[in-house]
Amino acid sequence: MKLSTSPFTILTIFVLALLVSGCEEEFIPPIESEPPQIVVEGYIEGGQLSTPPYVILTRSIPFSTTISGEDLNDIFVRDAIVKVSNEEQTITLSEVCLEELPQEMRTQLIRLMGYDETTFSLNVCIYTDMSFQFLGEEGKHYDLEIYADGEVLTSSTFIPPHVPLDTLFFLPPPGKVDTSFAQMRCIISDPADLDSYYRYFTQVNREPFYAGLPSVSDDRLFNGLSFEFPLFKGEPFGEVVDETFGLFDRGDTITIKWCTMDESHYRFWNTLEFNTANQGPFSSYTRIESNINGGLGVWGGYSNSYYPTVVGY
Amino acid sequence: MKSLPFLFLLFPLLVNAQTFILQGVITDKKGGQALVGAAIFDVDQPTTGVLTDANGYFQLELEKGTYTINASYIGYNDFSQTINLSQNTALNIQLAETALKLETIDIVAKREKSTEDPQMSQITLSTEQAQKLPALLGEVDVLKTIQLLPGVVSGNEGSSGFYVRGGGPDQNLVLLDDAVVYNPGHMLGFFSVFNADVIENTQLYKGNMPAAYGGRLSSVVDIGMKKGRTDAYQIEGGIGAIASRLTAQGPIVRNKSSFLVAGRRTYAFDLAQPFIRNSAFNGTNYHFYDLNTKFFWQVSEKDQLSFSGYFGKDVLRYVSNIRGIDFFLPYGNQVASLRWNHIFNSKLSADATLLFNAYDFGFEVQQAEYQIELFSGIRDWNAKLDFDYFPNERHEIGFGVHYTFHELTPNIATATNGEVDFSNELSSQFSNEGALYVQDEWKAATWLRLQLGLRGSWFQQLGPYTSKIDGRQYEKGEPVVSYSALEPRFSSAFLLNENLSVKTAITRSNQYLHLVSNSTSTLPFDIWVPSTERIRPQRGWQYSAGVFQNFDDGFEVAVEGFYKQLDNQIDYGENYVNNVADDLENEFVFGQGTAYGVEFFLQKSQGKLTGWLGYTWSRTTRQFDDINNGNPFPAVYDRTHDLSIVANYEFNDRWDAGMVFVYGTGNAFTPVKSLYLIEQKLNWEYGTRNSARIQPYHRFDLSARFFPKGRQAEGRFNSHWSFSIYNVYSRQNPFFVYYAVDTNLENNSATATAYKVSLFPIIPSVTWNFKWGA
Repeated sequence: MKLSTSPFTILTIFVLALLVSGCEEEFIPPIESEPPQIVVEGYIEGGQLSTPPYVILTRSIPFSTTISGEDLNDIFVRDAIVKVSNEEQTITLSEVCLEELPQEMRTQLIRLMGYDETTFSLNVCIYTDMSFQFLGEEGKHYDLEIYADGEVLTSSTFIPPHVPLDTLFFLPPPGKVDTSFAQMRCIISDPADLDSYYRYFTQVNREPFYAGLPSVSDDRLFNGLSFEFPLFKGEPFGEVVDETFGLFDRGDTITIKWCTMDESHYRFWNTLEFNTANQGPFSSYTRIESNINGGLGVWGGYSNSYYPTVVGY
Repeated sequence: MKSLPFLFLLFPLLVNAQTFILQGVITDKKGGQALVGAAIFDVDQPTTGVLTDANGYFQLELEKGTYTINASYIGYNDFSQTINLSQNTALNIQLAETALKLETIDIVAKREKSTEDPQMSQITLSTEQAQKLPALLGEVDVLKTIQLLPGVVSGNEGSSGFYVRGGGPDQNLVLLDDAVVYNPGHMLGFFSVFNADVIENTQLYKGNMPAAYGGRLSSVVDIGMKKGRTDAYQIEGGIGAIASRLTAQGPIVRNKSSFLVAGRRTYAFDLAQPFIRNSAFNGTNYHFYDLNTKFFWQVSEKDQLSFSGYFGKDVLRYVSNIRGIDFFLPYGNQVASLRWNHIFNSKLSADATLLFNAYDFGFEVQQAEYQIELFSGIRDWNAKLDFDYFPNERHEIGFGVHYTFHELTPNIATATNGEVDFSNELSSQFSNEGALYVQDEWKAATWLRLQLGLRGSWFQQLGPYTSKIDGRQYEKGEPVVSYSALEPRFSSAFLLNENLSVKTAITRSNQYLHLVSNSTSTLPFDIWVPSTERIRPQRGWQYSAGVFQNFDDGFEVAVEGFYKQLDNQIDYGENYVNNVADDLENEFVFGQGTAYGVEFFLQKSQGKLTGWLGYTWSRTTRQFDDINNGNPFPAVYDRTHDLSIVANYEFNDRWDAGMVFVYGTGNAFTPVKSLYLIEQKLNWEYGTRNSARIQPYHRFDLSARFFPKGRQAEGRFNSHWSFSIYNVYSRQNPFFVYYAVDTNLENNSATATAYKVSLFPIIPSVTWNFKWGA
């Protein structure tokens, strides 16, 4: 759906493959000593499955080669005041740390965040509305205010009207890939009167939802069109890309989570993914574009729909 | 007020005295090539001598009398003839190559006109000089040789890309027989498009560009193609590690017209096809090729006509049969120039030139019914009229008018899924560019030489175009915005004695076309964009001063300092994401640049051992309101120390050897400042722009040439071997750095690693070169 395979990438990979007879080695880059910044990871979702706002507050850590479990547990910002408001009301979110919760609720929360509850051991602290009374709604703006350690952070997001997938189905993958794999095809009708921004996740069986790579797209190349496109299976970050990249295993039960979002939310993910994928001799750096005033990270509204299905053709 | 400089230039013409003109062309006796920079003078008053221009043309103005005229050129026997001058006289001179080259002067990199020329910061490099030096994979590359000169910084490891005195990669005007070559690199810039076999010489202006040149801020690389021999047929070529070359030349009508046709092509992947054919990548291939041609016709004593053409392409096809993916990626340049040179009379000559140049980049990818196509390119149609006027012996005046029509096509993307077509709906942009110039090289006094020039440049953006400022729609051909500028060019040489001079120069330049690259060199997919309402012309001032000393034993020393101020510089914003849907004009941010430095150049040009030592200390910074919080930062190609040592030694008539050592401060890069957690993964936040340096770059190369029958062997067939060792001590110079993080929350731990990648270890190569003909 997105022209993700740029000539830049192809040519670079090809010529480097042609020429590389040198090697790579680790090195210690210079470290800038700056105070850590507060990082916001907050979402509120409307659509098929509305959720209350939840916010994870952490601090950035200086670049270092190994980060221990202690380091990770220490990055959570505690005792912050986190407020979310829409056009009608303002609520203050409650701080909840996983270790303080009963087992059943802990499991639910880990699943809500997309984590695997059986292996997850980090004492994540989140700020959320435990009453589940303040749920995201399409067409509404949500403002975020955070008071933490003497700092004030603000942001705003919008949950746009949802644009669902019309349908999805599977086909044998092009080429000579083993027939135990399948390529997913989707059809969408993009509305002409909206600037739409999309993101998607895939879940295989009981694994967590993983974002596609790339997981985001705007509609500038297909505004107002109804068309078919392939959708790639999301992979855990850093997973080796092989020749079956993006394909699904026939017989698996999968769920596609399909989201629309506003532009600043899209730009965060778009720059984050480009930041990671486009390093090398022929490109400069891309700074991740945060929509948080006074900090890093993202405050994002999603409008979602879910598509569970069994892979087969 | 604006007309004053012109009056100032023309004033000396009004006071000239009645004299006679001795004029003509100096050529190579064997090949008929014009000898550029050959000296011609009366032996009794050598200081009134002149040097031949780019066409080998000279003109001496002398009073009535008898003179002993002497002509000399490096590597050629002197010419001497007594002339009784009682009227304007034509004298065409053919110089013969000296047979005993070891005993004669051999300039390695020639600083033209040396101490007496007010022109600063200019170096002429002959291809023969480049051929003596070590070459990566045996491919002689004039653009890599000029990187060894002070003030010129190389791009990435092995790249033919270069930066001059803190200027960006798009600020170099690269010309092939007067036509602009927009992307002079093959294979991501690892090799230049210039086949050394057809290059006569390469002139580099690092600043203080003559008024005849314009459109770029930093430098001019003016590459002249050989014209074919008019006296005999000749075939020469070479077989190298990755490419082979073949050149044929000879007379069409003996001593009147000639042709030259040359080709070069890589074949490394063709040789690997038997292995590729049996793999999952059957169909994958890559090659590049260059075709050069030149036709020359001496129409009459006063008229010459020449046509030059260049056509080159990189072609990559990548096939993954497993996934059914087929990539096709061709790109290349086309250049054609038609020049008519006419001598009106003893004082006036002219060149009328028609030029066409094009650069195309294409990309296609197909998988099943899905197909994506991408195209970008440039088309220039150009006409030039240049005059040389010699009113008297104290003035050499050049003036002319240039016009170019540009068509710049951005990344036009189309795609289909077999049923629906997609497009980013971008379209070509059109513009006019013109210039008028006048320049006088004035021998103001025995101790003072001046070069006074003024260039008026003009640029006009044309529709169809939709304003990025107010949304106004412009029709086809409708002017959108115009820019113009006066560009004074001034330089002076104060001759303190015969071999010592002090020179100063001030240069103003404007650049109306821009290429913003995310990399450290120009790449095939980088897009040239015109000035628009939003993108204002880049403008620059350069001030330079230097001391130049020649020594009788062939040593030459030059120390030059420069300061450069650049306005309206262009870069991508820090959050830029490459997306074919973007109109690049909306992605740019604008700022300023500063560069200053000192260059030291020591050259030995006589004897068995020749070579040079070039050292540059410089600082190059950029400042953009939208980058680095508005704080100045080092440019990515800022290189504090840059050292090159180049040497050649001729052991005997059969063997010579060359060496190159280079050292440069490590490239600037932007380090990761901190890590933070999003969606279970650590992500990184970059720190201050270009605030860190990778390790210094240094490399030592060796070469040797073996001439089995001797360098000056007679006979119809001769050959020689060239041996090169690139990176002799296999230094692992960092090519780039990258970061990787591994977040494992299940184990409650994470690692972050910085890697530096090096590219070329020691690379030996052998090339066999041959020549058949008289």
